[in-house]
Parts: sequence; structure tokens; C-alpha cells
Amino acid sequence: MTDNASQHATPATGSTAYLQAIWAIVWKDLTMELRTRQSLTIMAVFSVAAVLVFNFALELELDAARNVSTGLLWIVILLAGTLGLNRTAAVELENRSIDAVLAAPVARSAIYLGKVLSASLFVLALEALLLPLFIIFFNKPYWLPQVMLIIILGTIGYIAAGVLVSSMSVQTRSRDVLLPVLLLPLSLPSALAAATAVAAFMRPELPAWSEVQAPIALLVAFDVLMLTAGFLVYHYVVEE
Amino acid sequence: MATTRLDRWTRVLSWAAALSLVGLLLMIFFFSPTERTMGNVYRILYFHVGVAWVGALTLFVALVAGIFYLRRRDPRWDTISLASIEIGLVFVTMTIVSGSVWARPAWNTWWIWDVRLTSITVLWLVYAAYFMLRGAVEDDEKRRRFAAVYAIFAFVTVLMTYLSIRFLRSIHPVVVGGVAESATGLTEGESEFASGVAWKMGVTMAVSTVSFTLVYVSWLLNRIRLQQMIEEVAQLKNRLLARL
Repeated sequence: MTDNASQHATPATGSTAYLQAIWAIVWKDLTMELRTRQSLTIMAVFSVAAVLVFNFALELELDAARNVSTGLLWIVILLAGTLGLNRTAAVELENRSIDAVLAAPVARSAIYLGKVLSASLFVLALEALLLPLFIIFFNKPYWLPQVMLIIILGTIGYIAAGVLVSSMSVQTRSRDVLLPVLLLPLSLPSALAAATAVAAFMRPELPAWSEVQAPIALLVAFDVLMLTAGFLVYHYVVEE
Repeated sequence: MATTRLDRWTRVLSWAAALSLVGLLLMIFFFSPTERTMGNVYRILYFHVGVAWVGALTLFVALVAGIFYLRRRDPRWDTISLASIEIGLVFVTMTIVSGSVWARPAWNTWWIWDVRLTSITVLWLVYAAYFMLRGAVEDDEKRRRFAAVYAIFAFVTVLMTYLSIRFLRSIHPVVVGGVAESATGLTEGESEFASGVAWKMGVTMAVSTVSFTLVYVSWLLNRIRLQQMIEEVAQLKNRLLARL
């Protein structure tokens, strides 16, 4: 036992430092958000407006609105997420705070993971606001724990791609326009799988596991692939 | 002015690609047998499958070239990656169009929002956005770097397209490495593959894949040469401006 512990002493401190770096980034982003309340407010107001607009469009067909509500949920999450990611990245660039973060002697991948974690938390907070709205407006069982799990899985993959793409798009000429153009197609495979899986839970009776197994497996595959790709290439995006 | 004439390899491969395409057309129409249930319509699948596989190959080459660029920082890798994605986008377009032409008689519609069809459309969009990213970055080195990173990320959608049909229920037939039970159109075709004249179909399909790979390689060489000429012109322009 003691042998083992002494052998792994160095990697353990290394990984502790790594986790501390991730935590520091998350803490910094959360503090920033708490003080400015920029991203979350924008995302929340936009989503409510979007839901209302869609309701107007579908008002005549209440059944139709109920049936497409899962797709609607993901459209709103994707669009609002784009706004939030753009806002966060732009604020960091305006204040040049990203330079200070990059100057810190920590692995770039830790910065990436920290950003994924904090941005996921923002989007999850947004979803916590959206789900009650959807339950009220569409009268569908969005409160099921399985549904929430699927939504969390879908959010992680989307944000994993989003953090990387937004770090690139803010550094370009047409930054506000470029992010949705790049990010929406990239994250559509996961949104499609997530919407399929959530839709299966919207029927009166619970679906069999075999029915939702495939889309959930796709979601997990997407999350793992995107996180790995982002983990490996993030430092190429922010170098110089 | 080293690039004004085609070099030997480019010439040889361009001719090989052109001739093999003619040969492939002859094989599709005269060598391979008529299919039992679909009749002559199925012949477009030689084109469709060949083009689809080479499309995936080009995007894979773009991924590998992107990784090499990030490691070595040699602009030639970026040229290969860019050229492959350009060509790949054309191949993906050809896959979608040929599939749609086949679907009209086979499924009685040009298009359905099926998993496989949706995901390849998404794939097309993802790679079309690649050119917008390139257009938005001014600095040359940064443009190459971002393009390489994006080529790596975009390949995830290729994998998802491949996985989606194996995981989700789809009307699209699986020809390679899949379970045939989900196939509604080609199942009978596949049983024919096992019978007497099936080897002719297999040979034609192999020739199709090889021909389109030749088309890709010769196209790639020509595109790389074009890129060299573009850079040469830019250099000449700069020298001229310096002189004035």
C-alpha cells in the first residue's frame, strides 16, 4: 500500500495540479458570470422569446406543437448556446483576459476542460429554466430523470465542440456570424440523436431500453469523440 | 516557371483516371448482369457506392494531412488538406445526387428525412463551412492552423454518419460491414451477390472504387499544382509591386 502510494506520488500531485487548474477556470468563469450576468441573461431572454415565437407559429395546431416540442427544445438550446458561447469568448477577448489565462503555467487542455465544464453549467442552468416552460406550454413529461440525463449528454457534446469552435471564431474577421455557421452543422448529429431519444420518452408509456439504446450510444460516442478531439487540439487554437 | 507544364505523374494519372472511367461505364452497362428485383435502375449504385467511399477517403486524407500540418507546420500539408476537402465536397455532392436519382424509382421519392440522408446532408454542410472558416481568417499561418483543427473536428461527423446507420433504424441499405436486415432496397440484390452471376457485380463494384480513387488522386495532383501556381503568381505580384 505504502509502496504504491510512494510510486504514484509524482503523477498524483501532477493530476491534482491539473484538477486544480480546471477548477480555477470554472471558478473564474462562474465568478465572472455572477458579476456581469451577461451570458446567462442573454441566453434566457433569447430562449423565452424563441419559445414564444414558435408558439405563435404553431398556435393553430396545438397537437403539432406538442409533437415537435422535442425538436423545438433542441433548436432553442443550440441557438441560445451559440449566443452564450459567443458572448463569453468576446468578453474574454475584449478585456484581453484570455491572455492572462494562457500565460498561466497550466496545460492548455486543462483550460479547455475547465471552459467546457463552466459553459456546460451555464447551458444546464438555462435548461433548468427552459424545461418548466416546456412542461407548462406543451404538457409533456420533461421532468423524467431519463430525459434530463439525455439532455445533459447532449449538452456536453455540443459544448465540447462549441468551446473549441468559438475560440477559433472570435479570432476571425466575421466572428459573430461565423460561430453558428460552423457550430450548428457540427453539433447536429448529437442534437438529432438527443431529440430522437427524448421524443421516445414523450409518449404516454415509457419506451423499452432497446428503443432508446441506439440514440444514447450515438450521443455518448459523439461526446467522447468531441471531448477527445478538443482535448488534443485546443492548444493549437490558442497558441501565439 | 517549373509548374507551367504538367509533370509526368500528373499526366499519367490523369489519363489513367479518364480511361478507367470509360472502362467502368462499359462494365456497368455491358458486363454486369441486370438485377432481379430492381432491373437496370440498380446500375447507378456502382457509381453511388464508389463515389461515397472515395468521398470518405478524401475526408480521411484531409484529417491526416491536417494532423501532419499541426505537427510539421509545412504549408504543403495544408494544400493537401484543402484540396482533399474541395474534392471531397464534390464527391459527397455526387453521392447525394446519385442516391436521390436511385431513390426515385426504388423508394418512389427523391428524398426522405431518413437518418442516413439527414446525416450526409449535415456532413455536406459541415465541410461547406470549412471554406467559410478559411475565408474569415486573414493571417496565412493562422488560417492553415484553424483549417487543420477544423478538418480534425469535422471528421467526427463522418464517423457519426457511418455509425448512425449501424445504430439507428434506417431505410438506407447497408452494403459494407452492416446487418442486411435493415436494408429494404438492396436485400434482394445482396442475395444475388451470392448466386451465380454475383461475381460480376463484385468485380464491377471493385473497378468502380478503384476508378474513382484514380480520379481523386489525379485531381489532387492537379489541384496541388494549381495551388503552387497561385502562390507563384502571388510572389511575382509582390516582386512587381516592390519594383514599382
